[in-house]
Amino acid sequence: MGLRRLSSEHLARIALALVALVVPLAVSVAWWGANRSTLAVTIHGRVSEAGGWLPDTLAASVGSPLQLRLVSDDVVHGFAVGRSDADPLDLPPGQVVETTLTFDQPGTYTFYCTRWCGPNHWRMRGVIVVSGGSPAVAEVVDPLYESLGIDIDALHPASAIPRVRPSAERGESLGVEFPEGFRSRSDFIARPPAETWQSLRLDSSTRGLSDSQVWDLVAYQWRSTTTDGALQEGQSLFAQNCAACHGESGGGDGAIADAISAAAPTHLAGNEPPSPADFTDPSTMLGASSALLQGKILRGGMGTGMPYWGPILTDAQLWSLADYLWTFQFGETS
Amino acid sequence: MAEARKPRSASGSLMTHVDLTRLPFVRSMLVARGPQLAVQLAAVAGLLLVIASGLLGTPVGSRNPATVLVWIAWWAALMIVAVPFFGRLWCGVCPLPLPGEWLQRGALLRPRGRGRGLGLPWPRRLRGLWVQNAAFVIVALFSLPVLTQPRLTALLLAGLVLVAIAVSLVFERRSFCRYLCPVGGFIGLYAQAAPLEVRVRDPRVCADHTTKTCYTGSADGYGCPWQVFPATLTSNVSCGVCLECLRTCPLDNVAIRLRPMGADLRPSAPVRIDEAFKSLVLIGSALVYAIVLLGPSSALRAAAAAVGSPSWLVYAAGFLLVTVVLVPGLFLAATSLGRSAARRRLSANEGLRRFAPALVPLGLAAWAAFSLGFVLTNVSYILPVLSDPIGLGWDLLGTTSMPWTPVGGTLASWALVAIVLAGLAWSSRHIRAVAENLTGGVRMAMPVWGFSFLVTAGLLWVFVA
Amino acid sequence: MTRFNRLLPYVALTALAVVVVALVGLPSSSARSGGVARNVRVEASAYAFTPATIEVDPGDRVTIELASTDVVHGLHIEGYDVNLTADPGQPATVSFVADRPGTYRIRCSVPCGPLHPFMSGRLRVGPPSTFWRAMALALIAIAAGGMALWRKPASPGARLAPS
Repeated sequence: MGLRRLSSEHLARIALALVALVVPLAVSVAWWGANRSTLAVTIHGRVSEAGGWLPDTLAASVGSPLQLRLVSDDVVHGFAVGRSDADPLDLPPGQVVETTLTFDQPGTYTFYCTRWCGPNHWRMRGVIVVSGGSPAVAEVVDPLYESLGIDIDALHPASAIPRVRPSAERGESLGVEFPEGFRSRSDFIARPPAETWQSLRLDSSTRGLSDSQVWDLVAYQWRSTTTDGALQEGQSLFAQNCAACHGESGGGDGAIADAISAAAPTHLAGNEPPSPADFTDPSTMLGASSALLQGKILRGGMGTGMPYWGPILTDAQLWSLADYLWTFQFGETS
Repeated sequence: MAEARKPRSASGSLMTHVDLTRLPFVRSMLVARGPQLAVQLAAVAGLLLVIASGLLGTPVGSRNPATVLVWIAWWAALMIVAVPFFGRLWCGVCPLPLPGEWLQRGALLRPRGRGRGLGLPWPRRLRGLWVQNAAFVIVALFSLPVLTQPRLTALLLAGLVLVAIAVSLVFERRSFCRYLCPVGGFIGLYAQAAPLEVRVRDPRVCADHTTKTCYTGSADGYGCPWQVFPATLTSNVSCGVCLECLRTCPLDNVAIRLRPMGADLRPSAPVRIDEAFKSLVLIGSALVYAIVLLGPSSALRAAAAAVGSPSWLVYAAGFLLVTVVLVPGLFLAATSLGRSAARRRLSANEGLRRFAPALVPLGLAAWAAFSLGFVLTNVSYILPVLSDPIGLGWDLLGTTSMPWTPVGGTLASWALVAIVLAGLAWSSRHIRAVAENLTGGVRMAMPVWGFSFLVTAGLLWVFVA
Repeated sequence: MTRFNRLLPYVALTALAVVVVALVGLPSSSARSGGVARNVRVEASAYAFTPATIEVDPGDRVTIELASTDVVHGLHIEGYDVNLTADPGQPATVSFVADRPGTYRIRCSVPCGPLHPFMSGRLRVGPPSTFWRAMALALIAIAAGGMALWRKPASPGARLAPS
């Protein structure tokens, strides 16, 4: 057999070699190439128990675009960078979604999952460390609860509880002027409603009012120091981030509540594992100030399963949420 | 020109067969090894793609070719088209045994002297269908995680290839296919219903031929890899349509023919007990699969998926009880009940082995309907998966973002009903034929019809209730 | 056997089958007017809908609230073109009139894990008439196969041939 004439067997073997080598080679090269690409970073999203974001630490430079290819490996996830106003991206399982992020300021940014993916959904977070540029001089501001000296982990029973659900509308119609020290927003957020009620009850301007009417005034104080826009934003933030554990009606009985309680390692007073707070219970809610609530949301629950939202929500969003929580005590029931 | 041959059997009844290999073009395409190899190479390419993407691609089952192309596309094509209408034709191009076979033969095309391997005969003790019955049941028990996770599908297929290679290098011919392959037992049984067959034209010509190259091999081809003697082949169960006998017969006595569907199911012949058992295990499995996967109990499904857990052990015990004990036991009772109607003494064992082939049409219909239902729901995954096979964000066909669109509705429901009832009617006819052959008549057929009705009721309840 | 006698079983069974299939408007299942309002809360978890079967009467106004308990799930009912998606804590609702009788599969439309393709339930509008008609047809099929299509062989003891 000369070199010029290949038998059919040899042709067949060449064909087999092409098939047996080309297919796996092509697949492997493509896969290897995708993982080594320096242009775009591929991030796999998995539920926290299976690893969360892989990788979960990225580096970037100020001004240079960071190209990301995001793909979910199991269920629907979402991607967003904390404290930014960019729209979150939905990640349908198995489909690659591309995005580019550009940072103006150096610092540490947190990215997180925006679609509920199980009890540990909130743990699905990562960081992007952005270097370069000149850092803006920011003054360090203590959270309000710290400057007010509030211990946000202590129990806060209410010293007084209304018999009837207070109504801000009724409070407004009373036409009573608030005394000095109760008129501004900062007055409202620093004091628990029960304490406010005690003080208003003793004040001369409320002498002719019943206890319930004074509660209505407390409700009105809340309503008048916040805006419709803030309450709407709070409502939407609550639905997306809080309702799964705390329940759509704030009763601490959300769909994921049981799983959270079962997983929480630390216990508060008594042997029961802590469950998500019940915002409809006046005996605890009315003993907490907005500053305490905002602080709890900001810092989280120290192992109870309550996430820390500081890196995720802007200051305005945190206060909108705290304002919204009062609707479970004072809001109009439909 | 193809002539419709109408040979008459000894009893004088007519049989209609169409000999496709009388067409010169068909014959030359089948005898030439090139076309078959081309299809085999395509199958090997598909297998490699499936294994590679299963191991490297996305773990999401609905977006990975391993799960979608194997369990939706290939399985549906097999159960709805290939087996009912072409018998074991898939076995002739299946990629799983090919690497082993090529090594064993030392060639891809014509024989070129000895290949590798010990060529030992398969152990006598392990012949028969019991090993395949067991393999099928075991695979079925572990199937739910495998069906839904690409990595496991890839590992299963790679494992089967490696086992096939090992078997080919130790034992002769296609021992893996004949005695081990879990799918093979399945396909072989239901291939009896198909209208395609490989048979010799005139057995007397074979009797006079001394060298029997169809079994021993020649320079033109290999002796039957399926260890079947073509001259006496009367059933599709073990013939893998590899076409070697077409090439080795020097007397042009081998033909590929079209014949009436179900011609291998003969009312006058009992089958071996292992084959009867296979028929029962398969129809029982079809019912269990339908109830577990498509039925209303998600607890049952969860148990089937949690392999290794206590709930899975309970499920496995139940599965085994139903497929190995309950269904065969019920069938034994049904075939035994009418024994007194026969004019001669009939043992329970013989009754079972006579009536078992009658379950082939109903069993095939059950699997086909089950597969059709599943495929209609999930067929819309195929184009996206082809467009982005490794989950890297490609859009080769522009269909990567196609949404899931189930095909269903009233028409689909009635299609499933029609398939099941067609199988039931055909099985009922065969049951009557066997009963008449045993001289038991309608009275003997009644309980067996009752059994078929119960199985049908279970299937219909899952599909349309 | 006369030609008429030979054809009679085929004709009779075919006619019976047609009648059974055409039995769409059974009296109890065509109560178009006077449907009640039904509210169903369906909890979706991996991989189950609870309740798995929703039974309503034709003409009812059905409101389905999909509440997910672990990850994002979907609820799809073919035949009624219902397509909901719900995150835990954010239930979704749809309202429609069940004017088409029959059994419709409820399927999860959002990949929620490995067993997602098998996550299903049923919406039954009216009695499961398709099932009962299919059962009646099954009896007809047995009669057709076992009686009408079976042919006595020409000579006794001969190998039976397909007709």
